[in-house]
Amino acid sequence: MSTTLSRTVSMSRKDLGLREKDEELSVQSKKNTVLVSHGRPPWYGLDGTRINDAFVIGVAGGSASGKTHVARQIVKNLGFIPTVIILSQDSFYKRLDEEQSKLAHANQFDFDHPSAIDMPMFAACLADLKACKQSNIPIYSFAQHQRLEETQYLYGAAIIIAEGIMALQDPQLRELYDLKVFVQCDSDLMLARRISRDVEQRGRDVSGILEQYLRYVKPSFDNFVRPSAAYADIIVPGISNSVAIDLICTHVRQKLQERSNAFRPQMAIPKSHLLSQNPIPIEQLGLNILPSTRQTEGIFTILRDRDASHQDFIFFIDRLSTTLVEYALQFLPYLPHTVTTPVGAETEGKKVTCRYVCGVSIQRSGCVLERGFRRVINDVPMGTLLIQSNETNAEPLLLHAKLPLYIRLRHVAKETYVFLLDAQIGTGAAAFMSIRILLDHGVPQDHIVFVCFLVARKGGINILRKAFPHVKIVCGSVDNEMREGRLDGREGRKVWVMYPGMGQIGDRYYL
Amino acid sequence: MSTPCPPPPPPQPSLQPNSPKGDLPPSVFTLPRTAQLEALFTIIRDKDTPRGDFIFYSDRIIRLLVEEGLNHLPVITKTVVTPTGSTYEGVGFEGKICGVSILRAGEAMEAGLREVCRSVRIGKILIQRDEETALPKLFYSKFPPDIARRYVLLLDPMLATGGSAMKAIQVLKENQVPEERIIFINLIASPEGLKTFCGTHPLVKVITGWIDQGLNEKAFIIPGLGDFGERRYCE
Repeated sequence: MSTTLSRTVSMSRKDLGLREKDEELSVQSKKNTVLVSHGRPPWYGLDGTRINDAFVIGVAGGSASGKTHVARQIVKNLGFIPTVIILSQDSFYKRLDEEQSKLAHANQFDFDHPSAIDMPMFAACLADLKACKQSNIPIYSFAQHQRLEETQYLYGAAIIIAEGIMALQDPQLRELYDLKVFVQCDSDLMLARRISRDVEQRGRDVSGILEQYLRYVKPSFDNFVRPSAAYADIIVPGISNSVAIDLICTHVRQKLQERSNAFRPQMAIPKSHLLSQNPIPIEQLGLNILPSTRQTEGIFTILRDRDASHQDFIFFIDRLSTTLVEYALQFLPYLPHTVTTPVGAETEGKKVTCRYVCGVSIQRSGCVLERGFRRVINDVPMGTLLIQSNETNAEPLLLHAKLPLYIRLRHVAKETYVFLLDAQIGTGAAAFMSIRILLDHGVPQDHIVFVCFLVARKGGINILRKAFPHVKIVCGSVDNEMREGRLDGREGRKVWVMYPGMGQIGDRYYL
Repeated sequence: MSTPCPPPPPPQPSLQPNSPKGDLPPSVFTLPRTAQLEALFTIIRDKDTPRGDFIFYSDRIIRLLVEEGLNHLPVITKTVVTPTGSTYEGVGFEGKICGVSILRAGEAMEAGLREVCRSVRIGKILIQRDEETALPKLFYSKFPPDIARRYVLLLDPMLATGGSAMKAIQVLKENQVPEERIIFINLIASPEGLKTFCGTHPLVKVITGWIDQGLNEKAFIIPGLGDFGERRYCE
């Protein structure tokens, strides 16, 4: 029950606001959405802390003035943009008691008064999203006139647009906006749009609509909505507003550019830190290296051999990942536990004491560890992250996040142990971003166990360690260095390659 | 091109603090006694553990035991070229192996063995107590024809009195497998059984997951886990 990045990747790529007709059908799905254009660049610095808040735009205006349209136009006009969330005030109607519910069903409840909206919750959700945390926003059902039990999970936007008639009315909300927009529209036009919308989509009759308009909508507009235009940075007309939207987009682009310029040189992975002449001594990196045995040594020899057969590579990857995950499980908490055996003897043993454990694999090469993971922990949820590097500047980009429920719910995330799976830590860019994502969700650092086959000693591990000293890192072996080069004699952009390494592990396992 | 390399020290010292008496024979190797291993054993010891969990968690222990057992096989130095074009000095596995399971409980360890050693050959032995003499008697055995040239991983989950295991070793020796090429893998051993077994076959390496307190009057291991085969297949 969530609009995840995934669902909207395909949608947004295709239409990004072009499919107006379909979207009109469902008010809810139209209003709280995450749109992805080309992935989310780092929102944190080398020390692992967040540098930037998300950019928040508040859009207010009368009912049927065209707020959602303006929000969509902004998204469409921004073009090549990072992730955007459009958050609607409609989600935050308060729970109704029985009496209020009866009134609501009889169209006798004033939904246009500010007191109908749960402003503190609206502000709290918006503040979480602005601080790059996840938020599980309520879902309001207009059919039942009630807030539903389920919530909608939102995470990972660089831009948030909050829209609603009262979006500029509440001071807590105004505090959170980077840009305040008021959509100004002629009253006659708003009423005309409202009648046509309610008749067509909600099956209401005109006299009912007019009664409601005169009784609630118009007074609310005059008393609360129109005065809030005074707080706006820019007033946009409700029709023929392309010039105003251009202005807004130019401003947003400029602001985003200023922000990314501020930290890009710092985070210009990997050149700035990979060639550091004084890497941290290996014993101070706090790595948990799998004890070397004849078998693991032999397995690594096969995996590193460029002439290893495809079957051998898969078999030994599965075997090594099983051993690695067994080794990584020592980092779960255990407590004494007494049981009775079938022969009637009591014996004291141990028991895992954490309630929530899950895995998250980093696509694609992290998935090669999943088979081994499942052999050891068979019944836990698995999440996945797709992080790719930007073709032009090698910066990591978050393209897709599908996380287990344990992580999505903040109060559960605090008690969850997460095994983060990736084949290797080379530049460390993907590891860095994935750990930051888990921390954003409230998973404590010392509850994260990163499991990988190889770590490059002179690679990104040095900054990763400084940024996240309490994350447990379990690896099979440590390689000495990273060099810029091309893998397997391939054409194209140079990438950072681990030496002696195992080559492109994902390709060797899957292709 | 490959030269034999000196064997590395045993992965675990044989005298782990896993025995109540602390005087293990040098041919006995145990898994490191971690909280995690203890938790695994706690699950399979618990009489209330359902069969699905019993199978899953005993398989995890069996895999660890087989991995440990394989560390006693020889390796030779081997140099390979990695996909990045650099050379890597590693080791290559030497020596052919086969598994031999003592029916029926030993069969339960075959799945774990095959996960670690792909398509390994597996021989079988059926040994039962002779009602007349009360001694273990061989009823059936079937081995790969070239077993004499292989390392043998002998599988039996519980080492209680050691009677059937010793009978199995005797059968293997009759098939020209020398003691030093046999690795006996079990989950739980009794100190009495270990002592008798290692006294009779000092060159056989014994890999055991846990050494328990001892035997009761019915020769069940205490605290043990009951009848492994029953719990795995029947209950």
